[in-house]
Amino acid sequence: MSPAEAAWIVLVLPLIGAIVLGLGFKSWRGIGAGIVGTASVGLAFVFTLVSLISMLGREEGQRQIASSLYDYVKVGGVDVRMEILVDPLSLVMLLVVTGVSTLIHLYSVAYMRGDNGYTRFFAYLNFFVFSMLVLVLAGNFVILIVGWGLVGAASYMLISFWYRRGTATTAGIKAFVINVVGDIGLVLGVILLLRHTGTVDFLETFATAKETFGEGGDGSLTAGLLLVMVGAFAKSAQIPLHTWLPDAMEGPTPVSSLIHAATMVTAGVYLLARLHPLMELSQTAQTVGMVVGAVTLLVAGTIGLVQTDLKRVIAYSTMSQIGYMIMGVSAGAYFASMFHLATHAFFKALLFMAAGSVIAAMASEQNLDKMGGFKKAMPFTYAAFVIGGLALAGIPPFSGFFSKDEILAVIGEQGGAYWILYAAGYLGAFLTAVYTWRMIFRAFWGPPVAEAKELEEGHLHHAAEHRNPATGEVEDTGVGFPGPDHHIAERAPAMKLAMGTLALLAIFGGLLGIPKVLTPLEHFLEPSFESALEGHAVHPGGGIIVVGLILGTVVGLLGIYVAYVIWAKPAMDGRGATAVSSQWQARFAPLHRLFLNKWYFDELIDLVIVRPVRWFGRFAHDTFERLVVGGAIVGGSTGAVRGASAVVRRLQGGYLRTYSAVVLVGLAALLVYFLLQG
Amino acid sequence: MLHLSILLWLPAAFGLLGLLVPSRSARWVGVLGAVLALAFSIVLVLDFDASGAPFQHVTDASWISALGVRYQLAITGLNVWLVLLTTVGFAFSMIWIAVSELGRDPRAKHVVLHLGIAQSAVLGALLAQDLILFVAYFDLMLIPFFFITAQFGNGDRVPATIKMIVYTLVGSLLMLVAAIAVGVLATPSGETVSYNLVEIANRGVPGGSQGWLFACFAAAFLVKMPAFPIHGWLADGYRAMPLPVLAVFSGVLSKVAVYGFLQIALPILPQGTADLRWVVLILAVLSILYASTLAFTTFNARLVLAYSSVAQLGFITLGVMSLRPDGASGALLQSVNHGVAVFGAFLAVAILGRRAGGSEDLRDMGGAATKAPIFAVLFVVVSYAVLAMPGTANFVGEFLILRGAWEGTAPALAIVASLGVALAAVYALRLFIRSSHNRVGPTIEPREGSRVELALMAVPVVLIAALALHPQQTVDAADRATARSVVRAANAVGPGHVQKILEADPGIVGVGVPQTFSEAPAPTGAQTAATGGSGATETTGGAAGQGGAAVDPNTGQPVQVDPSTGQPSTGGAQTIQIDPSTGQPVDPSVQPEGAGR
Repeated sequence: MSPAEAAWIVLVLPLIGAIVLGLGFKSWRGIGAGIVGTASVGLAFVFTLVSLISMLGREEGQRQIASSLYDYVKVGGVDVRMEILVDPLSLVMLLVVTGVSTLIHLYSVAYMRGDNGYTRFFAYLNFFVFSMLVLVLAGNFVILIVGWGLVGAASYMLISFWYRRGTATTAGIKAFVINVVGDIGLVLGVILLLRHTGTVDFLETFATAKETFGEGGDGSLTAGLLLVMVGAFAKSAQIPLHTWLPDAMEGPTPVSSLIHAATMVTAGVYLLARLHPLMELSQTAQTVGMVVGAVTLLVAGTIGLVQTDLKRVIAYSTMSQIGYMIMGVSAGAYFASMFHLATHAFFKALLFMAAGSVIAAMASEQNLDKMGGFKKAMPFTYAAFVIGGLALAGIPPFSGFFSKDEILAVIGEQGGAYWILYAAGYLGAFLTAVYTWRMIFRAFWGPPVAEAKELEEGHLHHAAEHRNPATGEVEDTGVGFPGPDHHIAERAPAMKLAMGTLALLAIFGGLLGIPKVLTPLEHFLEPSFESALEGHAVHPGGGIIVVGLILGTVVGLLGIYVAYVIWAKPAMDGRGATAVSSQWQARFAPLHRLFLNKWYFDELIDLVIVRPVRWFGRFAHDTFERLVVGGAIVGGSTGAVRGASAVVRRLQGGYLRTYSAVVLVGLAALLVYFLLQG
Repeated sequence: MLHLSILLWLPAAFGLLGLLVPSRSARWVGVLGAVLALAFSIVLVLDFDASGAPFQHVTDASWISALGVRYQLAITGLNVWLVLLTTVGFAFSMIWIAVSELGRDPRAKHVVLHLGIAQSAVLGALLAQDLILFVAYFDLMLIPFFFITAQFGNGDRVPATIKMIVYTLVGSLLMLVAAIAVGVLATPSGETVSYNLVEIANRGVPGGSQGWLFACFAAAFLVKMPAFPIHGWLADGYRAMPLPVLAVFSGVLSKVAVYGFLQIALPILPQGTADLRWVVLILAVLSILYASTLAFTTFNARLVLAYSSVAQLGFITLGVMSLRPDGASGALLQSVNHGVAVFGAFLAVAILGRRAGGSEDLRDMGGAATKAPIFAVLFVVVSYAVLAMPGTANFVGEFLILRGAWEGTAPALAIVASLGVALAAVYALRLFIRSSHNRVGPTIEPREGSRVELALMAVPVVLIAALALHPQQTVDAADRATARSVVRAANAVGPGHVQKILEADPGIVGVGVPQTFSEAPAPTGAQTAATGGSGATETTGGAAGQGGAAVDPNTGQPVQVDPSTGQPSTGGAQTIQIDPSTGQPVDPSVQPEGAGR
């Protein structure tokens, strides 16, 4: 089986799964739907391996395979085929997506067990995997946009999965609309690029990129790329299009784990890596990407420090980590960024799963202020969280250690202004370690809260009445909400299996790319980045790598130590978990307010966009429609209206039949006339 | 024998037949007529040869010989899919009526009759190749809707009907005057008057008169769509019309106006189009933005769809007025897509209204998805189509339109118009969320759709899915047909405009305006276009050097190649071509008149 044939099978399997689950939604009993959903994605992973093996059997020069089924749309010089592109880059992405998806499906089989929407959940989740595979495998820009839009739709459906919660539906439409803004950027960018290249096909575009745009690129290439990057930033939650991601945490936790951490949100990184032959021709686009990535990783890191919602802290962390990847991929660190994408998928999915377990133990409470002391009650969850936390903080030998430092090494190697980005990266790494371990210390250390004590005694806490923490509304038990009938990892083998596998990957994933020593991933990816090897790629020297590894370790450990001093120590010596942190908050009150209010991005967007548009809508309705459209324009013909109204009133008076008859007779007369004439 | 007159008169005939049967069964006669017409049109679509002659299944008979008006019908690349949309829409509406209260009304036979007449008139307007015949059908198709609204409407049906009549009457009268003037002005002295569209186009209307003539036609079409700011009849009209009738009114009839631009205004008034197209373009973009804003501030579920139609028709008009084959083909595709999506959307509103105690106010609704998983999924698919999500054919249409607008007008216009895409996401999802999600509303009683409701709702959803998987079949014929339609107007805009079309799509070099109205293949057109098409797929740098398109060595300009001789041809005035000596596009039919603008 050729790699492309296997990839087509990979693509349709989750779609079949979604259709089977959807059509038979009434007949699924127990965990049947979960098993079918997991099996279809698991099978997709198997066929991805088949594709990989088949690919490895080929020579390196022949590892880019485009395969098309039919003409999707071909008109007026726009020629789009239903086409996939299988190359090392898409295969790596495919492995991550199908692999992590399988594990998260497996986790959900147990975690979502008590939810009324069990079948619906797996149908949506399978549909999401299908959409993501379309995005990853797309062989041209238009099919890419199709996948891009479909993942947005799937993401929307899963964010508002508990659709009777007002907060969930609001978060859903917010995510959808911001992503549509991104789609528009992508569409316009593609239209602009198409104008110059005359094709939407990836390989054709890349092959002629240098001839079309010149060695140094030109203005239209830069403009096109910047528009495309709007799409990438929206999907990957980069500033200023990031505000939807924290709100997306309204979705069930496995969704946060799969879509809003491991796969969909990294699509922007994948896109920029895919477009590297174009990116390399535009210095401006690269710079914009690097700056936005750097700003995002810092801003998100600072917000993560002060948020109290467990899932939102991890969401800001995701934003921040993707900032590294965007920065890296814009700076030419393709292997390192893809490497970090993969390792991040492992440890971030793991962290979300562990968070889900904690939230279940808290009976859907997500506030860190109310947690504490779960170490003893939930040893497995704790271990998973610590492994994920060490990987995220970049402590050796965990996977995040190698991948993040490699990005920064490539950036530092380029010298000059890049040192600013390098410094930002390590500052961000420090913040990462602090907020990550803040979560661990606050949730697991210190004196156990009531819920933890209850669990230690052997039973899960059940809230008397569930309320939505954001609004105070009593939850609607019919459609569900986080944790009505909840499951923790300690008691669910399926969750343990999924988390255990990811924990192993988070520990040993670094083996995919130890700089200069063991680089199977880089070697495998080379055919996809051929042009980069012709001089654009930067290979960091041994010196900077060693410095980076040491620096990374020190920064990470320092961050953990700071978190320990602020949150763990006071909790353990009886001063209360917030004794030290509240002093800090008082000392840096303005900064704390800024971080707590998420740098006021939501307020800014509300002020600049939402309100003016709403105001205009009201003006159009209440004033313009009535006075101008209804008054002046119709008013001009008021006389005619009066005259006509008399006629129509007579129609109403029972003459309608007569008039119908008149129409009929007229029609018949025309017919007869025509027949006679003809 | 696929005689088009059979298709054309079949619905009206069954409408009449409905009068003869007992009231209770009239609706089923209507359904039978609509389904037969649907079957007929499916055969027509299957039979259509996309790369064949410009006019297929031609009917040509004398009608009012004293005035030179002829009864001329044909299937073309422009109308073939719209005919199918029409028959699908009316069949959908007729079946919906048959299973709803309206069908059990003692006066149901009137609805059946009026819809039958309306369908015949719409088909007539689409098929007509004679200008007066088109105008007659165009006016006729509105009248049955006035009757239905006045007789069966809700609320303030009388003022609503009057408003509709006044607006469309003004437009229609303007168009009638313009149509007669066009025929007379185009006729050279000593010749007989002809209203055949090909004949008029080839004779040419004097450039000086084209401006006001175009304005008259545009007014009629824009009122019908409607476009901002002449949409005053819309809100009342939509509120008053019974939903099954409204679905077809919104889904099908507004598309005839778009078709009118492509079929009538552009080919016969190229200079007028070129001079005034910016007015129409700006109205189109204003329609998109203004109507979208209204759509997400109104609380009436119907009006959300009403304003969304205005916005979508703004997009479609934008595509037509880009005067490029990609934009215009996108507009045709989008017409079909939007029609299908609208059928589903209005049905969803009806289903919701039935659960909300007859209210169509979004504030009364909410949580309708509760206990109604199938309905919710069908509705969400329809919503995705309305907002043109990538993956649906609506997205493909919008992509082509935006691309056409970007290339054919100004990038800024395309960028402003694209804001409408984001606004569409807001109003479509808002409609879905406020009706079906959130807490169960004050007056709504959520329950799953009945079998009939769900089966009806599945029709547009299946069509949306089919269009999404393979949009190509719908634009297959549109490429050459829209090229024929826009070529003269594009020429009138300027040489640069044609140059860009040719660079983007060398495949249409040699596609010509037909010289005669007959089933004969267009001069040099079909073969050249067919071979040129393969060239387009391989072209990378915009060179028009393959297939049927040849490049003049002196100027680097594409020239037309005569397939029979392989030599660059000098004749064939009705094709897109470039004069090798000047590098200017040549179109003799426009040149003498249009030069003085």
